[in-house]
Amino acid sequence: MIMQELKKLENKSVFIIREAKLNFKNIAALWSMGKDSTTMLSLARKAFKGKVPFPVIHIDNGIDFPETYEFREELTKKWNLDTIVLKSKIKSEMSGFACCGENKTVALKKFMNDNGIDGLIVSIRRDEHGIRAKERYVSPRNEKFEWNYKDQPAELWNNYSSKLDKKGHVRIHPLLDWNEIDIWNYVKAEKVPMNPLYFSRNGYRYRSLGCTHCTVALKSEAKNIDDIIKELETTSAEERSGRQQDKEKEYVMEKLRALGYM
Amino acid sequence: MIVKNVTLLGHKDHGKSTLIGQMLIQTKTVTQDRINEAKKISENLGRPFEPGFILDSFSEERENAMTIDTTRAELTYKGLAFEFIDVPGHEELIKNMISGASYAEFAVLLVSAAPEEGIRDQTKRHLFLARMLGIKKLIVAVNKMDMIKYDQEAFNGITADLSSFIRNIGFDEGNATFVPISAYSGDNILEKSANMQWYTGRTLLDALYDSAESAESNVNPSLRVLVQGKSFDSENGIMGKVLCGEVKVGTRVVALPESRNYTVKEIVSQGEQVQSAHAGDNVDLEFDGKVDEEVRGSVVADETGAPSPSDEIIGKLFVTKRFNGNTLIKANGNEMRCKINIEQVIDPTTGNAIKDSKPEELQAAIANIKLEKKAVFEKSEKVPELGRFLVYSDNEFAGIGIVE
Repeated sequence: MIMQELKKLENKSVFIIREAKLNFKNIAALWSMGKDSTTMLSLARKAFKGKVPFPVIHIDNGIDFPETYEFREELTKKWNLDTIVLKSKIKSEMSGFACCGENKTVALKKFMNDNGIDGLIVSIRRDEHGIRAKERYVSPRNEKFEWNYKDQPAELWNNYSSKLDKKGHVRIHPLLDWNEIDIWNYVKAEKVPMNPLYFSRNGYRYRSLGCTHCTVALKSEAKNIDDIIKELETTSAEERSGRQQDKEKEYVMEKLRALGYM
Repeated sequence: MIVKNVTLLGHKDHGKSTLIGQMLIQTKTVTQDRINEAKKISENLGRPFEPGFILDSFSEERENAMTIDTTRAELTYKGLAFEFIDVPGHEELIKNMISGASYAEFAVLLVSAAPEEGIRDQTKRHLFLARMLGIKKLIVAVNKMDMIKYDQEAFNGITADLSSFIRNIGFDEGNATFVPISAYSGDNILEKSANMQWYTGRTLLDALYDSAESAESNVNPSLRVLVQGKSFDSENGIMGKVLCGEVKVGTRVVALPESRNYTVKEIVSQGEQVQSAHAGDNVDLEFDGKVDEEVRGSVVADETGAPSPSDEIIGKLFVTKRFNGNTLIKANGNEMRCKINIEQVIDPTTGNAIKDSKPEELQAAIANIKLEKKAVFEKSEKVPELGRFLVYSDNEFAGIGIVE
C-alpha cells in the first residue's frame, strides 16, 4: 500500500525534475545535505539514468555540523555530483531572520546572476509550513528574488510557468506533494544515504537540519529509519519545532520567502 | 495507500477554509501547536477562534479573513487518505481556484444556508468549472445550518434548486450527495449531529469515504507517451511519460505530429531497464532510428489506432480574462499561436447559450481554434491529458479549454 503511494509521488517528482531540465536553459539545485534535498538528488538520478545533470549548491556559512560537511564530501564522490560550495559570511550577532534571510540569499543571488541560472530546484514540502503549502511547483521570482505571492501564475494540467521577466528566475519544487513520513518511507525503500545527525545519539536527534546556531536537537530514541517512522506516526510536535527562525514572529516565514529565502 | 484529492468549491465566505480546519481538528490530524497558533492569531485579530486560519497562512488572508491562494492539507479517515485542496472563493481569484481544483478527483461544494447567502453565481460557476476540470463525484455541503436553527425545509430547498442545475450542466445526479452541516460548530462532519435528527443520510466524511470507495477509474488501453524532450545520450532516444496504455520492447509506434514510425528497442523506466512500462511511468525510449530535433510536446502512440494530428480543434472555453486577437494556447510543452473563432457564448451560471458574440470574463464558450501548426489533441473524455489546454492573450493567462 505504501509503495503504491510512494511510486505515485516518485513519478510526479521525476516528471517535474525532467520538465525543469528540459524547459529551462541553465538550472541548479540547492543541497543542504538534509533529508529532503538528498531525496531530491536521488530522484534526479532516477530521472536521468543515474547522473545528476545540473550543479548542486551548498550555501555554507561555515557553521554547519561537522557530520554535514563529511556527508557532503562522501555523497559528492559516490554520486559524482557537481557540488558547488558558496561561502556566506556570518556575523556572530546575527540570528534567525537576518542570518537566513540576508546572509544566505546574498551569496545565492551573486552566484545565480554570475552564472545565468534561470531555474533553481528547491526541495520544500507543503506539510512543513503553511506558507510553503501555498507554493506552485514552478514559481517565478523577479530580479530582486522577490516572490509575488499575491499574483501567482496559473498552474494546471502539466503546464508549468515558463514565461520569465527578463532577469528573474523560477523556483522549482518537485517535492511539494511529499510529507515528512513519505520522505522517510522512501529513504528506507530506496536506501537513500542519510546524514547521521537524524539518528539518535545520547537520547537526542535532529528532525530538521539547519546550521549549528539555530537548530536544536529533540529528545528522541529513534536510532534508525524504522524508529523514526514509528516516532512520526505518534508525535504531536511540528517538524520544524527545533528551528529558531520560524518562531521569531508569526509571519517571519512569509517575509523570508517573499525576500527570496528557500 | 493512494491519496484521494478533494477540492473545496463555493462562494467566498461560505466556509471552505473553516470546513477543512474543522475536519483537521476533529480527525486529530493537526498538531496542537498549529491549533494554538490559529487561536492566538484569532485572538490578536479580536475575533472568535477561526479554524480556517490553520490553512490561511498569509498575513493578508488572516487579517481580511479570505483565502487568496490555493493550499492543501491531508488527513486519513477510516484508512483512506484524503488531500483537501482549499481554493479562494472570490471571483477575481478564479485563476488560483482553477489551479488548485485541477488536481482533484472529488469535490465538496459549500453552499451557505444562512439568511441572505444561499446559492450564488459563484457557487454555480465553480460547479461548471468542476465539470470542465473532469471532477465526477460531488458532495454538496449545505453549511451554516446552525445559523438557521437547523431548518430542514431550507436544506430541502437548496437541494432541489441545485439538483436541477447539476443535471443541466451534465453531472450525473447520482454522483452528487447533499449533507447539511455546520463547519463552524462541527455538525455532521465526523459525527452525526444531534441537532438534525431529521437527517438520516451520511456524515460529510462518510459521504466522502463512500464516493472514494465507489469511484471507478477509467483505464484507456491505447498507448500514448507524452514526449518531454530528446535523450541526452542518444540520437535515437526520447524522454517522456506514459499517459495511458502500455509500451513494450519490440512494439511498433508512431511519433506525432511528425509521423515517424519506429520500433521500440529499449525502455528505461526511472533508472531501470525494463521490458514494458505503464500509465504514470516516466520513461526513456530508445528507437531504431533518429528522432527529430524538435520533439518536445510530441506524442508516441501505437501504430494502429493513433490519433490524427490537426491544426484545428473544437473546444469548450472558460474565460478568465477577455481576450483579443493575440492569443496562444499552451498544452503539454507546446506553445502555439492560434486564432479563436467563437461559435457560441455560454453563461456558466445557467449552462445555457446566450446571444453575445464574444465571451466576457467569467463566461464560457464553444470555439473553433485554428493553430499555427499541427498538434496532437484528443477528446478530453478519451485521453484527458491530450484534451485540455491553457489560453493566453497578450502573454497573460486568459482561460482554460477542453476538447469536446
